[in-house]
This record gives sequence, C-alpha cells and structure tokens, in this order.
Amino acid sequence: MKNKIEQIRKERGIRQEEFAKLLGVSRQTISSLETGRYNPSIFLAHKIAKFFDMTIEEVFLFDEETNLEG
Amino acid sequence: MKTKMRIAANVLEILLGAGLLIGNYLGHVNEYWSGLGTALIVVGGIFLWKQFRYRTDKAYKEAIDTQNNDERNRYISLKAWSWAGYLHLMIAAVAAIILMVADRGDLVPFASGSVCLMVFLYWVSYLILRRKY
Repeated sequence: MKNKIEQIRKERGIRQEEFAKLLGVSRQTISSLETGRYNPSIFLAHKIAKFFDMTIEEVFLFDEETNLEG
Repeated sequence: MKTKMRIAANVLEILLGAGLLIGNYLGHVNEYWSGLGTALIVVGGIFLWKQFRYRTDKAYKEAIDTQNNDERNRYISLKAWSWAGYLHLMIAAVAAIILMVADRGDLVPFASGSVCLMVFLYWVSYLILRRKY
C-alpha cells in the first residue's frame, strides 16, 4: 500500500524523530511506513491521518491488486 | 503493580542465587547449583538495574515504552516467532530423514516427535485463536 506520509511530513517541516515521538512509535517505524515496507494497522493509519488533519484515503493509497497478491 | 511484581521476582531470584552459593560454600550442594546461583544473581541483578533505571531515568522509560508499544516492533516479534517455529519444524524434519539414512534410528523418534509436537501445538493454537478472533 502506497502512502503520502513522507511528502506531507516534509511539506509540514516535521522531522522523522519528531513525528515518531508525536505518534508514540519508533523512528524506524516511520521510515518503514514511508518506504512502504510496513503497512500500518487501522489505528495507526487513523492516528496519522488525524494528525495531518486529513482522511485515511488522502494519506494512504489503497491498491486492490497489491492486497490480492498478499 | 506490574513493576513492583517484577522487582519482587528479581529480588527473589537474587536471594535464591545467593542461597545456592551459600549452600555450595557450606557443602550442601555441588558446583552445578552454585553455577546456577551465580547465573540467577547476574540475571536478577541486570533486570533489577533495568527496573531501577526505568523508574528513575525518564528518557530511558520513554524509549522502553515506545519500544514496547510500537506496533511494528510487535509485528516483527510475532513474525520472528512464526519463523522460528517454522524453521524448527523444517530442521527437525530434515534431521529425522538424515538420522534415518545415517542408521541412527535411536535418535529418529526425538526429531520426528518434535515435528509431531510442533504440528499438534500449531493446530491447538489455531483452534483456540479461531474461537478468539
């Protein structure tokens, strides 16, 4: 699943460390989310979207084909 | 409460370790038990120190809390257990075949038994989790 976390975070001038601290996760988690290596739970996705004051769909781009491939 | 219980368990570990060392010194137990006592003191001491640091060092507490609550970390931990179980199963299965070929039939039950136990535990866990979720 692709996402716009890195783009939005950079637009708002937030460092990965700060962002991680604000969300209560590790910096590595933010890095993995941004590179698409890790897909967040619905709770974390909601937390991120809420933090950016956006909807989940605006931050995360759901790709049905990727989901079907597992 | 949880932290207090852990501290109590660590203190108990250290006391038990000290008891074993004293027992060895007085000639009541052999070196095996004194070795175990030393290990208990070291492990108990390390964990006690970590608990103390957790209670006194704010930055350390924050780092530990983040590590424990980080969902990716929990996901990786579960994945690692899953891999460990799967690898154990594969290694035991291959070992059973190799032992059979090497004419070590006396050891085959241990390897094949390990495979059976793992498969049994998997199915029991699966049935329990299926009810839960």
